[in-house]
Amino acid sequence: MAENTVEETRRGRPLLEVDDVAVHFGGVKAVDGITLELRAGHIYGVLGPNGSGKSTLLGAMTRLTPMTRGSFVFEGNDYTRRPARTVHHMGIARTFQTVRLLDDRSVRDNILLGQDTLAKAGRKDADARVDEVMERVGVTAVARMRPDELSYGMQRRVEFARAIIGRPRLLLLDEPTAGMNSSEREEIGALMKQLLDEGITQFIVEHDVQMMVDTCDYLFAMNFGKLIAEGTPAAVVKHPAVQEAYLGKGAGTHA
Amino acid sequence: MSDWYSMNVVLIQTTLTTLLLALSIQVPLRYGVFSFAGVGAFGIGGYTGAMAMVHGEWSTWPAVLLGTLVAGVCTFLLGLVVQRLTGLYMGMATIAFTLIISVLAVNGGDWTGGAMGLYGAIGEITTMHIVLAVLIVVAFLAWTEYGRRGRKVDTVREDPELANALGIDVNGYRRLSFLISGLIGGLAGAITTLLRSTITPSEVNFHLVILALTAIVVGGARSWVGALIGAVIFVWLPTFLSFVQEWEKVAYGFIVAVAAIYLPNGVLGVVKDLWHKSRTRDERARVAVGLQEKS
Repeated sequence: MAENTVEETRRGRPLLEVDDVAVHFGGVKAVDGITLELRAGHIYGVLGPNGSGKSTLLGAMTRLTPMTRGSFVFEGNDYTRRPARTVHHMGIARTFQTVRLLDDRSVRDNILLGQDTLAKAGRKDADARVDEVMERVGVTAVARMRPDELSYGMQRRVEFARAIIGRPRLLLLDEPTAGMNSSEREEIGALMKQLLDEGITQFIVEHDVQMMVDTCDYLFAMNFGKLIAEGTPAAVVKHPAVQEAYLGKGAGTHA
Repeated sequence: MSDWYSMNVVLIQTTLTTLLLALSIQVPLRYGVFSFAGVGAFGIGGYTGAMAMVHGEWSTWPAVLLGTLVAGVCTFLLGLVVQRLTGLYMGMATIAFTLIISVLAVNGGDWTGGAMGLYGAIGEITTMHIVLAVLIVVAFLAWTEYGRRGRKVDTVREDPELANALGIDVNGYRRLSFLISGLIGGLAGAITTLLRSTITPSEVNFHLVILALTAIVVGGARSWVGALIGAVIFVWLPTFLSFVQEWEKVAYGFIVAVAAIYLPNGVLGVVKDLWHKSRTRDERARVAVGLQEKS
């Protein structure tokens, strides 16, 4: 069954090709030569302990973090040298590790921001679309409220809605369930699978192993800025290098 | 009405020109740029307008237009030079720009009238003209605060990195804020100068920065309405505070300090909060009940 999933991830059109990407901060090699390929129609996850370079990789993918070398090709377009703001227009949306919403704007306004910079076609029927998206993530009842009046879980939903309103083809999620309780986690996991059915490929950075195994169909594992394993969730979690990264040397042999 | 108007015509006109000056400082702040270049633009607009009338024998409105455009172009160019600066450094650089304008005015010889300033730029400006100019500016600014544009500007100010990730051209917006600030500041300077028929270097100085900032802090920094509230308060305050006589400056300082501490978003912020709270009372009650049921 595990082999089957690997086969499946090889199908689908190539969406994003990451080739030998490195981000060095002075002597620190936060990301050091990552090569990977994402195909449409999957939920990918990147596992790794704190400081392994996961979030920096996400920053480089969205061009917000300047990179040392490497290239990104999205749907056949090389965007390695384009400014960060064009990434959103291409169809890549992201969320951040911390909640980043405008506190003096309503929930509805915050969500609309996700489509405000798109070309006219992308903003068609914005009112109907925002209602639909709010219904989807379950924030309709609080549409007119401000983010700082909401619980943390609700704020994360608003961020989710802002990321998907523009119908991206690729959604990058930086620790989407951090700080959530288990029922909220399950709801977010279910939402991700729903989005996948609608054709939004996802790439999740997370250190909660259980959440990743439950949600993703293909995993990458990183440590010290390098890829140490990739494959089906079950295989990656059992991989000795991953066990060692999480539990320390020698742990892999007992697993 | 007309009695009241003719008694207060100077105050009414000053309110309007102060509003324009305050707006020229408020625009960059709304875009997250800590720039006081609007005051320098005020000087450029005032001097250019006066020189066009005195030396060039231009008529009033072409002179005002020239002052506005020259100030807009100069401030935009300044923006290109200093756009990489942030926070306090941006503030310092733009205040330096203002001081340079006043130094140029002092040393301009016959062109600027030196330390004595320029006299005899007698513009034909009525209150109606100023109201019209203000309406045009306010209509434009209201448009930038509304809907999609307003959301983008707010994001550029509150979280530039997020703005970038959402596809907003942050640097473009910052440059634009210099141009708008320069045009409005120049218009304010040209109108003020031709209204009084004179401008001196000492009028283009740091006290204008303080006047504009206090109006914005007390009124509200997020919208032109806040600048209007602030301009009305600070132009009319002296008439109501005349009973405190020499303590006027103290009362003035007290009001600003209290506003800065207790009304971080100005008078307008308080009004908006109240409006928001009354509008969303039901929703907030439901959320509170929902939280209780969960726990």
